[in-house]
Amino acid sequence: MKKLLLIVLISAPFIAQLVVLPFVNRIDPIIFGLPFLQFWLFLWIVLTPFCTLGIYQLQKSEGSLD
Amino acid sequence: MQQGNLTALSITIFIILTVVLIGFLAGRDKATRSSVEEWSVGGRRFGGLLVWFLVGADLYTAYTFLGLTSTAYTAGSLAFFAIPYSVLAYFISYFFLPKLWKVANEHKLTTLADYARERFDSKLLSSLIAIVGVLMLIPYICLQLSGIQDTLQVAGTGFINVKVVVITSFLLVALYTFFSGIKGPTYTAIIKDVLVWAIMLFMVVSLPIMHFGGWNPMVDKIVTEAPHLLTIPESGPKGITWFITAAFVSSLALFMWAHAATGVFTAKSADAIRKNALFLPLYNIVLILVVFLGFIAFLVLPDGTDPRFALLALIQTSYGGIGQGLAYSTIALASLIPCSIMAIGASNLFANNIYRDLINPRVKGPKLTMITRGMVFVVIGLALLFGLVFPQALVSLQLLGVSGMVQIFPAIVISLFWRNQSREATIIGLIVGLVVTFTVYSTGTSLGIYEGFWGLMANFATVVVLNPFFGKKAKHSSNAVKKYLFDQSSKEEQLVRKGA
Repeated sequence: MKKLLLIVLISAPFIAQLVVLPFVNRIDPIIFGLPFLQFWLFLWIVLTPFCTLGIYQLQKSEGSLD
Repeated sequence: MQQGNLTALSITIFIILTVVLIGFLAGRDKATRSSVEEWSVGGRRFGGLLVWFLVGADLYTAYTFLGLTSTAYTAGSLAFFAIPYSVLAYFISYFFLPKLWKVANEHKLTTLADYARERFDSKLLSSLIAIVGVLMLIPYICLQLSGIQDTLQVAGTGFINVKVVVITSFLLVALYTFFSGIKGPTYTAIIKDVLVWAIMLFMVVSLPIMHFGGWNPMVDKIVTEAPHLLTIPESGPKGITWFITAAFVSSLALFMWAHAATGVFTAKSADAIRKNALFLPLYNIVLILVVFLGFIAFLVLPDGTDPRFALLALIQTSYGGIGQGLAYSTIALASLIPCSIMAIGASNLFANNIYRDLINPRVKGPKLTMITRGMVFVVIGLALLFGLVFPQALVSLQLLGVSGMVQIFPAIVISLFWRNQSREATIIGLIVGLVVTFTVYSTGTSLGIYEGFWGLMANFATVVVLNPFFGKKAKHSSNAVKKYLFDQSSKEEQLVRKGA
């Protein structure tokens, strides 16, 4: 279970910021004053640190942080 | 060129001189230049916050702001590739930088090439990495040079001889770097980062209000008048495939740069580096909004404005006087301070990994420290020379910098995790990667994919295919770094297996 979570946290930033780009490459809808593509990139500036933090906590709880 | 602005010019020059003075004061204590380790990585005593400022100051340069806005001005949303690129670079760094820092700390290493030498017992590899590093970094220093040059040119036309002022300011930077080492740029980096944040936020808030009555009306106007700017082109030589591969390769390359590595090695603990990996993406909150300033320039400036001056011209038309002075001095500092860190990184490679590893292996102690420090003048001198005399010859090297730098990724990062990676396969892979990158670039056969991506794939493939031929030797040989990296963890693994 923890392993699965770890894999999700590691791959999410890559999938969101590289793989799915062709699908978010659009202007509408405009959210918080940002066209969708820019909103999406902005969102992942904020979400990526949470992925890193999650990985850090997982490693810490497993004691695999050297 | 149109007449400059005297108020703006005076403020810019005043702030530059203040910062240079602080750079000198930072090195009052003689200890800052007592050894290569003190001078180049501050004796590895910097805490998380200081490293954050330093790495941030390092990576968000004048070129970042001027280059991205001018890309936005001409090529629209392609400029946003810098966002996923740097966010992912910090994310990836979480997985290898702490480990690399620990090896460097344990074995008193100050450059990435030092690490490769100790890891693979190969001076050939370390000097190769150093040559690539210096060759790619000097054009990058030149870019910083053009940053300050453009600033002074727009503000100072009609008042000063721009070239003389540029040369003087760079010599001052070389002098304070020689004198204070990494302490110089660290303290000034804080001033620069605070100014960058304040000024960029100020511009992002005020420019849309001045020209369009607010952020939302501005976005509406771009949507109706220039919607092509807001999405990435679906095809063409630089389309979405280019965007994705460029972002990916650049993110792997970021910490391969000598100046980035210098910044990282100043940290006092692996945990300080983890914290940095966590918080560095936040720098991009400002950056993504700054790209929009390029769109404003597109809508506001008269047709035929040189894209290179897009941001600078926008600032001059919009503010003039004091506002322009503060903005320009921020950009000038964003050009001088990274330049200082880059010069430290390049001098270190020059002295330790080209001069010592290749030419005079017996040099050490105070003499090596002096040579390393003296190299600052050589590096900045070369950058000045090329920048002022052959600006055109540098364009290719600048375009290929990232693609070239990323080729050392297998030697530096993969080798932290793969015990049996052999020196021979790594060296051949590095060379193949460089050759493929340059060939694809010069023949124009990239097929819409970033050049460095082709090179890196060729590099990886070469290492994987050739390694079985040399891997046996690598498997049986060992050294201090290998022991440190692999033997402990294999013991732990055995324990875990026994426990399970």
